[in-house]
Amino acid sequence: MGLRLRILLLGLWLGFFATAGAHAAVTLVMVSSDRSGAYLEAAEALLGELERTGLPRAEVLHLTPLEFSGAGPLAPKLFVALGTQAALTLGKAEVRAPVLSTLLPRASFERVLLESGRKVSSQFSALYLDQPLSRQLDLIELALPAVRRLGALWGPESQGQAPALKALAQSRGLDLVQATVAGNESLFPGLSQVLEHSDLLLALADPQIYNSGSIQNILLASFRAKVPMMAFSPAYVRAGALLALHVSPSQIGLQAATMARGVLQGKSLSAVPLYSQDFQVSVNGHVARSLGLSLDADDLRARLWHREGAR
Amino acid sequence: MGGLALLGCSGLAWAQASATELALSEKDFLADMPIVLSVSRLPQRLDETPGAVTIIDREMIRRSGARDLVDLLRVVPGFQISNSFETGAPMASYHGAFDEFSIRMQVLIDGRSGYSPFLFGGTAPGMQAVALADIERIEVLRGSNSAAYGARAFLGVVNIVTRHPLDTLGLKVALTHGENGIRDARASLGWRTEAASFRLSLDRRADDGLSGSNGHNDIQRVNFRSDLSVSAQDEIQLRAGGFTLDSGRGVDNKPDDAKHDRRHNSVYAQLDWRRNLGMDQDLALSLSHSEEAYRDSFPLEARPGIFVNVDYGGRANINTVSLQHTMRHGSNVRLVLGGEFSREQVKSKPIYDRDDPLANDFTRFFGNLEWRPARDWILNAGAMAEKSSVNGSSIAPRVMLNWHFKEGHTLRYGVSKAYRPPSAFEQFADIFYSVNAVLFPVVRSLGNARPESVLAHEMGYLGEFPAARASLDVRAFHEQINRFVRRTTVRPYDFINAEDFVISGLEYEVKWRPWQGGRIMFNQTYTEIDSTNNLTKYAAPKRASALTFSQKLPAGLDLSLMHVHNGKMTLRRAAPEVAMSRTDLRLAMPLRLGRNRGEVALVVQNLGSAYADFSPRFKFERQAFVTLRMEN
Repeated sequence: MGLRLRILLLGLWLGFFATAGAHAAVTLVMVSSDRSGAYLEAAEALLGELERTGLPRAEVLHLTPLEFSGAGPLAPKLFVALGTQAALTLGKAEVRAPVLSTLLPRASFERVLLESGRKVSSQFSALYLDQPLSRQLDLIELALPAVRRLGALWGPESQGQAPALKALAQSRGLDLVQATVAGNESLFPGLSQVLEHSDLLLALADPQIYNSGSIQNILLASFRAKVPMMAFSPAYVRAGALLALHVSPSQIGLQAATMARGVLQGKSLSAVPLYSQDFQVSVNGHVARSLGLSLDADDLRARLWHREGAR
Repeated sequence: MGGLALLGCSGLAWAQASATELALSEKDFLADMPIVLSVSRLPQRLDETPGAVTIIDREMIRRSGARDLVDLLRVVPGFQISNSFETGAPMASYHGAFDEFSIRMQVLIDGRSGYSPFLFGGTAPGMQAVALADIERIEVLRGSNSAAYGARAFLGVVNIVTRHPLDTLGLKVALTHGENGIRDARASLGWRTEAASFRLSLDRRADDGLSGSNGHNDIQRVNFRSDLSVSAQDEIQLRAGGFTLDSGRGVDNKPDDAKHDRRHNSVYAQLDWRRNLGMDQDLALSLSHSEEAYRDSFPLEARPGIFVNVDYGGRANINTVSLQHTMRHGSNVRLVLGGEFSREQVKSKPIYDRDDPLANDFTRFFGNLEWRPARDWILNAGAMAEKSSVNGSSIAPRVMLNWHFKEGHTLRYGVSKAYRPPSAFEQFADIFYSVNAVLFPVVRSLGNARPESVLAHEMGYLGEFPAARASLDVRAFHEQINRFVRRTTVRPYDFINAEDFVISGLEYEVKWRPWQGGRIMFNQTYTEIDSTNNLTKYAAPKRASALTFSQKLPAGLDLSLMHVHNGKMTLRRAAPEVAMSRTDLRLAMPLRLGRNRGEVALVVQNLGSAYADFSPRFKFERQAFVTLRMEN
């Protein structure tokens, strides 16, 4: 069955449950910020894996944040939030069971904690969507060993990672060339300065810097400066970034299922939020070729995987 | 009351929504992005192009200390240059300075033809279209490129790419002052809005020219460029500008070429629109208009006490529209297809003895297929069909095979054929003067010359040696020229298909970064022109060498040395063959004035003795100048 068809059937099935209000014998409640695209893909992977390991779909309730708010008291063994909005809704709700938030980046989860007043614990934990900095640096070492000067642009949402990246870069003998773009400032002076002195632009998600309106200027400037970009999603690679390290919604769904199964079997939820174990590497072959590079995404992923396993 | 509460609520919701939009969420990781580096934006790699290419980048332009683009081309393998303004402007030619003009090359400025159809036709005025400081890089395509750029790219192409306005924001000023009347000045202003960026630059390049010439050369330019992102798929670029070139020509004691002043005006406007049709194809439309006007007249003492007015003045204009579709099929096929229509009009009563303009309509269709039959092989096959309303039709094909026989090492072999139809001057010139009702014809082109052709074979090697931080580019060439068009030697001059000959030889270029902050480039060209006519035979030196060395020194100092040596060759204005050598030195120091960055540089051109350029009477003497640059 094609993925699309499966997602469609899942959507119909979930819709049926949401409207029928059959809340009896619910083991797991999944609250999803949205019911389209990546959210459905993650939900499908999660439910498929749980079903495969013995949790009937009838025991799972899939709601949007709005539906959850109107659903009345629920007593599952575990709540799973897909996306920031869902995590915030569950964080603010008075629920007894543990909450696993996923399909959201670390900074979003930290904001959820702040806004809901909850603390990270085995009652409220997360599986992040963004990739750990150390893994990103590992990929740079494997894919572009000649890179010595790493460029980064910080905005209000990414700035928090600056000290960590600086320390990590230093420990690997890389120079970090960075610029901070304040709220309403133009990002261009900072970008030019970073591109002038670096070998690779490491894009770290921040909507005030990297968005569909700014990406054209950033990628063109980086191309003119012959400084390739390593980004955080496959969409950026299609747009013209050289490569990206990311995790797919299905990979997130699968790992969330493994974590959920642990809880359903009586273990406690990891009290430390986790980064995804699995990941993907995307390469824009045309950009690589024009830069005189030969990069193979599958090979890079395998080597990165092997390197992490060996650690 | 209820209404107020509702208002308050919706206001709060709005505030939350906008805060959420600015906050990071999974949407940043999951959202779609527009395609930016579309298929035609990604250029071919140097080791996959169908021919030899020398790239002169911004760093090299700056560190050369050159004030003129043509002067800089002297360090490109296979090039001969002249700094003389005697026939208009400094000129560069590849594989042979066959005449007083440079008519067997094409010059492109951001894709717009800079070939001047006026008089003999030639690239010299086009080379002056933009200031060096506005240039991002110069791509010199060494070898016949008519399959991609039309008949004028008969022996080579100089492709000038100007800087993106986003890279030149703010105010930049530069002043140059020195010996030989050198007084250049430049100011450029760059600014941007949400979706567009702009640059306006004004400059002047002035000096007293070669010693012995009537040189007082003054070029004043204005150039405007704006880049607009209209939508995620569309990008528009607008360019406009012009220049005035005042120069002195003529010599003492030569009545038919008495000392006088000449003025050349040139203006242009250009619109480019690129539409992205998805991941693997895009479309580019270009419209351009350019105009030039010459004023060049002087009194000739035809008989003692009897003066007639000699006039070479006139006007020309070109209108061009072109459309190009670039597409990719998988990772192994890339195809470029396009068409162009161009109308050229040249009007000069004194040169053509007619009141109406001479018009020539060109229709061109071109295509290039880049195909990888196997992992390490690239075949480029292309052709241009050109139809001229005056000269008829021709097809210029090219096939080139590149083989990456080892990582970082490429061999290239190819063959191309091209035609150059005679220019308006070579076909229709009719210059005469009359004294006491007696006609003295000077040039009478009978229009008998047929298009000349070149059949070029080339073999190339490109090697990267990362451990030694060096690269090597070798090109061996065999260019069979048939029906070469030359001016006859007695008045009234005509243009005829004078001879067939072969230009063969080898050129190589080594680039090496031997140590931190050091950059060395060395090239040599061995050229053999197989002709019994000495003008042709020595149109290029048998051996030419160029060495460029630049070194970053402590305290931000920057030192460059450029040395060229050319074996014996004929000067542009037919004269005995002479050899030349020249060494230039540049020392620069960075400056900082508050938030402004700058540089002061001392340049000494031709440290050695003076050498003859263009004519044995004209000498390039040692000259020193200082440049001060500031930018905010």
